[in-house]
Amino acid sequence: MSGIFCSLRQLSVTYGRDRDGAAALDGVDLDIVAGERLAIIGESGSGKSTLARALAGLLPEGAKVGGEMLWPGLGHPPRAGRDFGFVFQDPGSSLNPVLTVGEQVAEGARRHLGLSWKQAYVRAWELLGRVRIPQPDKAMRAFPHQLSGGQRQRVSIAAAIAAQPALLIADEATSALDVVVQAEIVRLLDGLVREDGMTLLFITHDIALASGFVDRIAVFRNAKLVEAGPVRSVLSAPKSDYTAALIASHRDLATPPLIAEVPA
Amino acid sequence: MSWLRRLLRTPEGVAGFAILFVLLSAGLLAPVVSPGDPLKIAGRALLAPFADPAFPLGTDRLGRDVLAGLLYGARTSLAVGVAAAFSAMVLGLCVGLAAGFAGGLIDEALMRVVDAFQIVPAFLLALAFVSTIGVSTPVVVLAIALGTWADPARLTRAQVLAIREQDYVASARVIGMHPAEIAFREILPNALPPVLALSATIVAGAILTEAALSFLGLGNPNIATWGSMIAEGRSVLRSASYLSVIPGAALAVTVLGVHLFSEGLGKVLGDDGVRAA
Amino acid sequence: MNDTLLSVENLSKGFSSAGRQVAALDNVSLTIAPGETLGLVGASGSGKSTLSRILLRLLSSDAGSIRFEGADWLALDGAPLRRKRARMQMVFQDPLAAFNPLATVGTVLDDPLRIHGIAAKDRRPGEIVMLLERVGLTADHAARPVRSLSGGQRQRVAIARAIATKPSLLVLDEAVSALDVTVRGRILELLVDLQKEQGIACLFISHDLAVVRAVSHRIAVMDGGRIVETGPAAAVVAAPQSEAARALVAAVPRLVTDPC
Repeated sequence: MSGIFCSLRQLSVTYGRDRDGAAALDGVDLDIVAGERLAIIGESGSGKSTLARALAGLLPEGAKVGGEMLWPGLGHPPRAGRDFGFVFQDPGSSLNPVLTVGEQVAEGARRHLGLSWKQAYVRAWELLGRVRIPQPDKAMRAFPHQLSGGQRQRVSIAAAIAAQPALLIADEATSALDVVVQAEIVRLLDGLVREDGMTLLFITHDIALASGFVDRIAVFRNAKLVEAGPVRSVLSAPKSDYTAALIASHRDLATPPLIAEVPA
Repeated sequence: MSWLRRLLRTPEGVAGFAILFVLLSAGLLAPVVSPGDPLKIAGRALLAPFADPAFPLGTDRLGRDVLAGLLYGARTSLAVGVAAAFSAMVLGLCVGLAAGFAGGLIDEALMRVVDAFQIVPAFLLALAFVSTIGVSTPVVVLAIALGTWADPARLTRAQVLAIREQDYVASARVIGMHPAEIAFREILPNALPPVLALSATIVAGAILTEAALSFLGLGNPNIATWGSMIAEGRSVLRSASYLSVIPGAALAVTVLGVHLFSEGLGKVLGDDGVRAA
Repeated sequence: MNDTLLSVENLSKGFSSAGRQVAALDNVSLTIAPGETLGLVGASGSGKSTLSRILLRLLSSDAGSIRFEGADWLALDGAPLRRKRARMQMVFQDPLAAFNPLATVGTVLDDPLRIHGIAAKDRRPGEIVMLLERVGLTADHAARPVRSLSGGQRQRVAIARAIATKPSLLVLDEAVSALDVTVRGRILELLVDLQKEQGIACLFISHDLAVVRAVSHRIAVMDGGRIVETGPAAAVVAAPQSEAARALVAAVPRLVTDPC
């Protein structure tokens, strides 16, 4: 169907400091298919955030990277904003508090698409509409702190896709939101990615949330890739015990409760 | 002492620590190297440095040993500098903690007092204080402290205001901890690091202020100080410049040492902040 | 008095924001019986956290009353309040921020024992070990700095601290939301266990209906500062009446494990 967008070969990341040396990522082999929605599932310490940052070139100074990251889809390492967009976990701190929403969303378009400020603002207004921000005119002039958490995350998504990147990386983009807003943001991401033909890398600790809409999942644990494959096959027949444990510990409304119905 | 080890891994920390160590040793060993009163007339007047092995750094206009003056002066500078900075810090911490923790009218009232002390330039305040009260060492220490306590107070208050909102302070209230205990056990220890980093700067400032006061003749005339040595050398600056330059250089190196030490300390404490994130 | 441990009546709290009055709590009423777990569920901004902070006397209310263990809870102040606090404890959401960065597990658990005179000085280390073992940790955790523990372990310490004073009511505000999924289940099991063993009533607050359902006898749904629905847990989940409850039910992610 489509080619490989990004190929990771034995990717390793170690956060260098005098004594540590524990690998944050250890020998990861993974292909990201162009146009697919891939979920990276892992708990704390699994390396999933490190993977996101390695792909985005956001690793801190002193981080040692081994192995290779090949970009056959692009032919060159991706440029921030132009080739990929990044949505962070905490919209409260990833948006600049002293710039208006309109300015932050327009900036990517202006810088990477060569639009004038006026054209970029129009595009920003359209994007705010696409991410379903109510009253986009007012929102353009508002500051991040005047919006709710869910709205801020929509703004972050709009800013990330402003320059029409080929890849969208969402690093725990829903983890700081409540469950109702999470579901809305996931629907939004799904729709946007389909419409624009973007490749989506959805990083989360919530296997159920991801499995509702992605094509493939890759499970990480303790810096290693444990298992990867189409979401249905991995969930119905997990090859690794860890994946099975993750599936077993999922809790929804059908799971029998832990307490007896009537208080003792 | 793990912070000390980390400090010694930074170039600033090593340099600063080395300078301060030399200074401290100089002060402590003064009576050993140059026994007796440094202000006594020891030899011929205006002997150049390295001319006579008995007086390695020469003598001044009255024949007093420059080396003795330097070593004893180190004591004064360090003692007054540290004592003044310590008093300023303690006063600032108490006021800042009270203001930040109490809030409301008490906070407002205390901050106006801090404003008042911050508006007056520290040196002029010290100057005015010493000229009115007198020139003994405790008065000089107090004068310098009065000029510098306002900054630590403000910084402490800012820290306290931020920490007060943290969950662990709420936790302490929920388990029924007494407000005084919360202030001193939960808030104060966590408010300290940036204030401690400030302390090194205050010490440097205090040392300079003490030297300046002595220079102007407002220090204790009965002890050797670098400031008075610099002042005394003014009249023979052309012919015997070493009399002012040597204590001046010592002063500059000391202040540099304190600043370097504080830089290193800041790096170590800053490191902690990054690691915790 | 009677069968009610906690009774909140017409509690209201408003904030002024950007010149407007926002009602964070609007005439909220609820009851909790001894030994029962009431799940309080709602989206962010529904007022759950405001309610918990008012209950724990961290925030003042504008109107309404709270009766706890037969007495007027809001009328207490100063030393009498501090003493009575032993009866109502809280576990916070963020296991990292809930502890003094300089504390060790031992000092964290020692504080409530000392403040409320639960055990004499020489008996306290033993009591601390008992508490640690009760929450699934070991005696050698006592000397470790809290910051060196994992999220799940820290939350266990938080629970140990909360039950140290043998409270009759435990308020858990998003207590498992910040934990890994595999750890969550074990903490929830611990809570249910403790309740069976010690008869502690719980107010379990969360935005995740699945988690609330797992541990609650009854569920109250909050929306816009009001309680919009209350009922037995199974009933609220199976047949939600209010719009807010329906939205919460629909939003719970479901894992589809059958092959395509």
